[in-house]
Amino acid sequence: MNEEFGTIEREIRIDAAPEVVFQVVSDPEHVKDWWPDEAQYEPVPGKAGRIGFREADGTVQWEQFTVVDADPPRMFAFRWTHAEGEEAAKGNSFLVTFELEPVGAGTLLRMTETGFRERGWTEAVIAEEYAAHVRGWDFFVPRLPAAAAKAAR
Amino acid sequence: MSTRVDDDLWSAVGDPTRRRMIDRLLAEGSGTATSLSEQLPVTRQAVAKHLAVLDKAGLVHGAAAGRERRYRVDEAQLARAVAQLNAVGSAWDSRLDRIKRIAETIQRTGEPDTETERTEKE
Repeated sequence: MNEEFGTIEREIRIDAAPEVVFQVVSDPEHVKDWWPDEAQYEPVPGKAGRIGFREADGTVQWEQFTVVDADPPRMFAFRWTHAEGEEAAKGNSFLVTFELEPVGAGTLLRMTETGFRERGWTEAVIAEEYAAHVRGWDFFVPRLPAAAAKAAR
Repeated sequence: MSTRVDDDLWSAVGDPTRRRMIDRLLAEGSGTATSLSEQLPVTRQAVAKHLAVLDKAGLVHGAAAGRERRYRVDEAQLARAVAQLNAVGSAWDSRLDRIKRIAETIQRTGEPDTETERTEKE
C-alpha cells in the first residue's frame, strides 16, 4: 500500500465481462451515464475532446478531455481539466487510468487519478466542485487515522 | 491569500516523511526536530526543513522551548486537509458504483445500448 495523498486509487469488482466494462468506462454515451452531463470525444488516443457539467442555471461548464491510451478491453486512460488549446500533459491536467482484469466471468476494475500534487490543492477542489454528483460516501484517507478521529469529534 | 495556503497544504501532506512526522506529533502530542529525528530515519536537518514546510502550510505550530522549537499539530487545519481530500475520493467511489451498476445491467439484460456503441465505434 503506497497510496500517496496526490493520488486516488480505487478498485471494484464488477459482475460483467471486461469487454462490457470497457465500453462503460470509455464510450462517451456510457460515460455520460456515470459522470458528466455531456461528453464529446472519440475514444482514440490523442484526440482532443471535452466533457460538460450542467450548472443549476442550465449552462454547461466544459472541461477539456483527451484520451491518452485505449487498449480494449484492458486499459483506458485520459487526461482532463487542462486549459482549452493546451496539449494535455503532466502538470496541466489530471490523469485517470482504468485497468481491467478478468476475474472469473467478471472484471476487477482499478482506477487511479493522479496530478493533484503537481497542480496544487485549489484546482483539485475546483475540479471536484464541477464533477461531484454525490457526496458523503464512507471513505477514509489511509495513514492518518488519528487525524480523522479528531476531525470527527 | 487563501489560494496560496491551499497549494501549500496540498504539497505539505503529499510527502510521506512529512505524514510520518504528523503521525508522530499526533501520537506524542508535540515534538522537536531532535525528538522527531530520533524516531524517523532522517537527519535532524531534514526534519527541520520538513517542519518548516508543515509550519508554512499551517499544519503545525512551533513555540520556543529552550534551544529548540517545540511543534504541535494544528488539528483544525489537518482536519480541513483530510476533509478536502475525502471529497475528491468520495466522488470516485460513487462514480465507480454507477459504473458497476451500468455494466452489470448490460451484462444481465443483453446490452441494451449495443446500437449506440456500434455507432460510436465506427
